[in-house]
Amino acid sequence: MGGSLEHANWFMTVLFCAMSAVIVASVVLAQRGRAMFIRPIPGLAAIDEAVGRATEMGRPMFFSTGLHGITIVTLQALAILAHIVRLAAAHATRLIVATASSTLLPVAEESVREAYAAAGRPESYRADDVRFVSDDQFAYALGSIGIMARDRTATNFFFGSFFAEALVLTENGRALGALQVAGCPDPTQIPFFIATCDYVVIGDEYYAASAYLTREPTLTGSLVGQDIVKAAIILLVLVGAAIATYLGAGDAGAHNALLKLLAQGG
Amino acid sequence: MAHLFDPARTTHALILYLAAALVASFLLLLALHRLLGPRGRRWLVVLVTFVGGLFFGLEWFYPAHGQPSKNFLTDWIEPVSNMLAVVGAFTVGLGIYSLTQVHGRNVLRRRIGWHNSAAFFLAMVAMLVFTLWEHYLRLPQPTPKLVPWPKGVYEVLFNGIFMPLQAATFSLLAFYIASAAYRAFRIQTAEAGLMMAAAFIVMLGQVPFGAWLTSALPEVGSPLAFFRLEKLGEWVMSWLNTPAQRGITFGIAVGALAMSLRIWLSLERGTFFSEQS
Repeated sequence: MGGSLEHANWFMTVLFCAMSAVIVASVVLAQRGRAMFIRPIPGLAAIDEAVGRATEMGRPMFFSTGLHGITIVTLQALAILAHIVRLAAAHATRLIVATASSTLLPVAEESVREAYAAAGRPESYRADDVRFVSDDQFAYALGSIGIMARDRTATNFFFGSFFAEALVLTENGRALGALQVAGCPDPTQIPFFIATCDYVVIGDEYYAASAYLTREPTLTGSLVGQDIVKAAIILLVLVGAAIATYLGAGDAGAHNALLKLLAQGG
Repeated sequence: MAHLFDPARTTHALILYLAAALVASFLLLLALHRLLGPRGRRWLVVLVTFVGGLFFGLEWFYPAHGQPSKNFLTDWIEPVSNMLAVVGAFTVGLGIYSLTQVHGRNVLRRRIGWHNSAAFFLAMVAMLVFTLWEHYLRLPQPTPKLVPWPKGVYEVLFNGIFMPLQAATFSLLAFYIASAAYRAFRIQTAEAGLMMAAAFIVMLGQVPFGAWLTSALPEVGSPLAFFRLEKLGEWVMSWLNTPAQRGITFGIAVGALAMSLRIWLSLERGTFFSEQS
């Protein structure tokens, strides 16, 4: 097999298949009615409070999907968006969505339209409220700040892929007095969100969002499967560290052979 | 077979390719629109998603040989990626339509700030016209000393206005970082106190002043050497920060895998396809 990163080696393939099998098995078990526990995630629980605040103030909410087009990160952002739209529809609160990708725009429009329909208020959907702002990083940031300022949004949500514009967006949102909830899987942006937002969803919590919010069996099962896989990885890291330490201290040849086996697939 | 997607070699072939692609796309869309109901379209999305995921997954996991390593699907990666890029390019029109719709209404209804929307149209048309003009402008050889005016206007619009505006926005980050850091470092909780202490050590460890502060401690050969700020800062970054970052990255990777599986197998029905029964 190829030893470069152009293709998977046997170890990656086995690991991927095992992890996928655990996740799919959890999903199937949940779909068959097995009760599953989900850990509390404060950042996600705050979404209800954030929507409630905008409703009480009678002002709209703003949702940013970040800079990327259709990726796994933005699809998860759309899943969270769909939940917020349902809440917004139930409370008759306006939600403005800004995308930086024209590819994502039709998907976001469809997602919002379906969410309004699912909430029983298809007439609440306004085509103007799902907007493409710009695909340029800072033009998008400034356009989004313009929306927050002009529409005096009470709550801002930031879920997706963010980079240097994250701080520009959230500092201005904070200055405008909005309650802010953010979620981003990128560890380099999380500190900026923590410093400027009221609630932050970090790391793998981001991918737990749709399960946590909707409690649908499929998603709940997937989340539990995720947690099992994470526990297995922690165990693997500990066992690997112990083996590497033991071999590294004594048999250098065996140590190198093990590293080669894992890195190059034998 | 993958060579079918190689670029056209002559202008005639290019025109023929374009015409054939347009006609084929139109007929395909028409057929799908007429023949498939909402349920059928949903199944088509499920099928395309599955096949797409299977293609990229198989290409990555199927045993590959040679240098660079290739399997029977590798040659198809570039054409398929190009096809995705072409589909993405079509959505640029949707983006322009969305902008035109929002800003057009602002101008027509004279909403508050409508002049900003008018400025948007002016900027968009000016950039479009002068960028295309500049791109297709054939300069005589040798290049004249006086730059032709369409190129000059483009230079002013792009390098004279757009780029400085971008740089100005980027420069604001310095002030935002300062204000965000001030808020983050106010010691109101035990966690904020720990963060402040870690930041204090790392920041001082990066500058000569920090090294000077603990210069009295031995550099090597004593347990006290560990407490020199530059070494302490490095220890915080390598032994505390890196494992935490890696832990988060593991979690993110597993979460992304679960999400990918849900999308690939169309299990995330409540969000993208239809309500879960």
